[in-house]
Amino acid sequence: MTDSIASDLEPVGTPAPARVDHPAKRVAKQFVEDPVAVVGLVLFLLVALVALLAPVLAPQNPYDLAQLDIMDGGLPPGEASFGTGMTYWLGTDTQGRDMVSAIMYGLRISLFVATVSLGLAITIGTVVGVTAAYFGGRIDSLIMRIVDLQLSFPAILIALILLALLGRGVDKVVLALVIVQWAYYARTVRGSAIVERRKDYIDAARCLALSDRRIMFRHLLPNCVPPLIVVATVQIAQAIALEATLSFLGVGVPITEPSLGLLIANGYDYLLSGRYWISLFPGIALVVTIIAINLVGDRLRDVLNPRLSS
Amino acid sequence: MKVSRIALTAGLVAAGLPAMAQDLSIGVKSEATSMDPQFHQLSTNIQVLKNVFEALTTQDANQMVGPGLATEWEAVDDTTWRFKLREGVKFHDGSDFTARDVIYSFCRVPLVENSPSAYTLYTAGIANMTAEDDHTLVVETQSTNPLLPAEIWSIAILSADTLGAEDEIAYAPEGNCEGMGDVPQAPAFNSPDVAVGTGPYILDTYTRGSEMVVTRFDDYWGGTPDWARVTMRPITSDGPRVAALLAGDVDMIESPPIQDIGRIEQAGFKIVDALSNRIIYLHMQQVEDAPGISGTDGKNPLMDARVREAISLAVNREAIADRIMGGYAQPAGELLPPPMFGTSGREVDAYDPERAQELLAEAGYPDGFQITLGTPNDRYINDEQIAQAVAQMLARIGIDTRVDASTASQFFSRRNALEFPIYMAGWGAASGEMSSPLKSLVATYDEATGMGPTNAGRYSNPEMDAVLIEAMSTIDDAERDRLLQEAETMVLEDYGIIPLHYEQTVWAMKPELTYEPRMDQYTMASEVKPAE
Repeated sequence: MTDSIASDLEPVGTPAPARVDHPAKRVAKQFVEDPVAVVGLVLFLLVALVALLAPVLAPQNPYDLAQLDIMDGGLPPGEASFGTGMTYWLGTDTQGRDMVSAIMYGLRISLFVATVSLGLAITIGTVVGVTAAYFGGRIDSLIMRIVDLQLSFPAILIALILLALLGRGVDKVVLALVIVQWAYYARTVRGSAIVERRKDYIDAARCLALSDRRIMFRHLLPNCVPPLIVVATVQIAQAIALEATLSFLGVGVPITEPSLGLLIANGYDYLLSGRYWISLFPGIALVVTIIAINLVGDRLRDVLNPRLSS
Repeated sequence: MKVSRIALTAGLVAAGLPAMAQDLSIGVKSEATSMDPQFHQLSTNIQVLKNVFEALTTQDANQMVGPGLATEWEAVDDTTWRFKLREGVKFHDGSDFTARDVIYSFCRVPLVENSPSAYTLYTAGIANMTAEDDHTLVVETQSTNPLLPAEIWSIAILSADTLGAEDEIAYAPEGNCEGMGDVPQAPAFNSPDVAVGTGPYILDTYTRGSEMVVTRFDDYWGGTPDWARVTMRPITSDGPRVAALLAGDVDMIESPPIQDIGRIEQAGFKIVDALSNRIIYLHMQQVEDAPGISGTDGKNPLMDARVREAISLAVNREAIADRIMGGYAQPAGELLPPPMFGTSGREVDAYDPERAQELLAEAGYPDGFQITLGTPNDRYINDEQIAQAVAQMLARIGIDTRVDASTASQFFSRRNALEFPIYMAGWGAASGEMSSPLKSLVATYDEATGMGPTNAGRYSNPEMDAVLIEAMSTIDDAERDRLLQEAETMVLEDYGIIPLHYEQTVWAMKPELTYEPRMDQYTMASEVKPAE
């Protein structure tokens, strides 16, 4: 027991660093030590780049109905268009949509929906969570009971009901995702903020008669960020999967602007008949995206976890 | 030795056949909402309940009217019909069928409570019914109704005694009959003791969400039915229904998804299909300030027949039938497939996008406009895909089309609230003649007279209405045919409604079975026969 404390205090072998690195730099350094996580990060950046540049990269705009030709519907990978002669490297769906373009645009919608809803949900969740933790007492109880109530329902159920009421549309999917996700962030932030609240620097800030708002957001919040990042990376993958699920079930994005989930749903009807490509390739794109994000998220969790860091 | 070989052969034959020859199991797309045959006018109810209950007339696979519980009938004058009823017919509980049962059955129709889609449509026009003797019935109608024999196919005949009627029943319109006793309501029919008919099969069990089982009625007047026991299982998802057939859980399924037909055939199953009486059409809102249109300075371009014609010419019907329907659809130029009654043989509008663009320009919309196309996504075969294809084709002539797809229940209520400037839907003509689509889809909407109930485009052409009303009260078949053709031509030349295609209905079954495909799309267990 005493040994281990001693070794913690005086690391043997490696000389103590002369100066303390910026936390972000330390995290980056530790992050790259795991090659799998680096692969995940590279994959994710690639996916994000493709999604961002889809209008430039894609050979066709799959959302412009005038560019589609029904006579090209259901062509297998590698076939050429009857009209324009362009090659469909991953085939076409039944409407004659080039699958390569459809996947690029689909990724774009999936990532857009996920990041926008993530941003909004984090903002709401953080404000609510910090408020609950800082003031405690009745405010805390009230807010946390609402969070408990919401978390006790499955996210997919809430989202389905909302979209059944609101109708289809990208904006509506974003709204539904924000509503089902904010509670996770509120709970996470509150958890770490309650721990921080009892620390001396908060008391010190109070002694300086700083405003509540300033203490909450300038002192308390920055120290709650690491767990938030971990939850956010897990949740963004969840958000992508949830959007895909909703679209697959036919309540998400409009049918003329398919996201990955809707592309998979469209192809699902044709699986038995052997037209595998309509579902398979968007499915692969979805899986790769989610795995990449999860790899990054896992590593971040390890690096940011104070219990695991040496 | 010889004897044992024969016995062995017989044993093998017996072992190979009995399961097939006695029991039949059918995977249906949706289940009946009630076991009361007078409760809900819905094809899923009608097709299973026709096994248990019969009507005075029948309609064969081509919707030709034939004798049923009535052997013959004649129009005595314009509003009076005399029906000779079949003798020696027994109900499942052993009682005899007489004219009193018929009067009771017609009397009960308006007394059925909470019906989502009532059969009163067919009984409202009957002024009086009297029994001349036990097997002769005189029916008086309020106005001339040439379709009476076809329409009464829908009215199931129930047993007056089983349902607790008094000895004397006096007919009066609108549910004012006397001597009806305490009329059982729909839920009571879940019991086989109440659901008593004259049909070839007896209701055995009905388990909601799981199955309906009927057993053979040995005393059936039409000879011994083919199957000892028929099970109808609702399997709503297409994939599992096909899988159930492939795995041998069911012997036959209705509406396999057309993209899977190739695979089903490869697995050794038999496919039968028939052109149906169901037309898939586009209807356009033809009133000022229709919603969902922009880019026209507030005007409704669909009021202009040239715009409507342009829409029709822009649609490549061959491509839809070929690419999306896999060949199981026929491009339509009319509201019913020729040569059904009242069709004129009008040509299918040819695909001509150039002419369509010219027409748009002539009408003052050279750059098109934006519009929302409403469609259900789970009602008709590949409905959502067809709507997308139509949107694609309209986009090519400059009409920027947004597809608004929703489930059938949502779609129909939104459509009836006139939320869509243009929508796609389907219509199956129950009576098998042109008056059905004309009356429902394009006659001027009038709640009081019941005309145009499904005319959510609010198309209105008084001249056509006049011809149609004349046709509907003409008993002479040749004259009615001519008038119906005239009325239909007036609508289609005006592009008041745009026919897209006729659905083809498909059934898949084990090779040991045969089924004559029905135009009305019904899957009737009593018409499934063992193959010779």
